[in-house]
Amino acid sequence: MTVVETILVFAVVPLAVVLVLALMTLGPGARNRRPRYKPGQPWNHDPIWYEPHPEATGHGGGHGEDDAQALGSSVYPERYGDEAAATHAVSGGTHAGSSATRAISGGSTGGATVASRPRAAGPLGGARGTW
Amino acid sequence: MTSALEVESHDTATNRTAAARTDEGVDQIFSFRELARLDEALTMSSRETGLRFTLYVGDLGTPTRSRAEELHAHSGGNTAEAVLIAVSPGQRVAEVVTGSAAARRLPDRACALAVLSMTTAFAGGDLVGGIINGLRQLADQAGRPTTRH
Repeated sequence: MTVVETILVFAVVPLAVVLVLALMTLGPGARNRRPRYKPGQPWNHDPIWYEPHPEATGHGGGHGEDDAQALGSSVYPERYGDEAAATHAVSGGTHAGSSATRAISGGSTGGATVASRPRAAGPLGGARGTW
Repeated sequence: MTSALEVESHDTATNRTAAARTDEGVDQIFSFRELARLDEALTMSSRETGLRFTLYVGDLGTPTRSRAEELHAHSGGNTAEAVLIAVSPGQRVAEVVTGSAAARRLPDRACALAVLSMTTAFAGGDLVGGIINGLRQLADQAGRPTTRH
C-alpha cells in the first residue's frame, strides 16, 4: 500500500463520510430557517388571533334559503332592480371557508377586526400560567 | 414544501383584489405546516365540543388577566360559549379565559391542568406543540355537547 493509498483510505474516505452526514443533518435546517422561539427572548411580532373555521363551509346560503328558486343550475334566485347589484355579494356574504386567521390592527383596539362590539360573557373562568 | 405557495401574484389579481394571503406577513411566526396544525386543532376541537376556541398570540400588556378578559369579550359569536387561549411569549404568560357557559363544562381546575401542560412545552421552546396539546386537553375535558347528537 503506497502512501497515496493510505491517505485516501484513512483520511479522504472518513472525511467524505463525515461531510455527507453533516450535509444531511444541517442541510434541511439551513434551507428554511425560521427564528425559533426560545423562552426569555423578546417577542417582536404583531399580535395575531386565530379562530376556528365556521361550521358551515362551502355555499353561503345553500338551497331553500332566501326564497331561492332553482333557475337552471344556479343556486341563487334571479334578482331585479337594486337587488341585482347585490347578487354578486351573496356568495361572499358569509365568509364561510375563508381564512381562519385574522390579524389584529392595534393594541388598544384589540379584537376590533374580530367583532365590532364587545359582548360580556358573565362570570368568566379560566386559568393562568407562566413559564 | 413551502416554495410552491410563495409564488408571485397571479394574473387574476387586480388592483381591487385584496392582498394575497402570502403578502399579509402573518406567516412569519409559524410555518405553513404549523399553521395547518393549529388550524386543524382549533377547528376540530371547536366542532367536537360546540364551544368556540380561539387563540391569541401576542403581547397582553399589564395586567394580563384583564386584557385577556377584554379580548374574550371581543372574540365574536356567543362569548358565553367562547374559550380564549391567550399566549404572550414575550411576557411568558399564558391565559385561558372561559365564558360563563363554557366554564360549566371546563372547570378552572381543568383549565389549570391544560395551562400547566402548555407552559411546560413553552418552556422547552415548543409553542405550537404546547398549544395543540392544551387544546386537546381542553376539548377532551369539555366533551361533546349534550343538546346535539
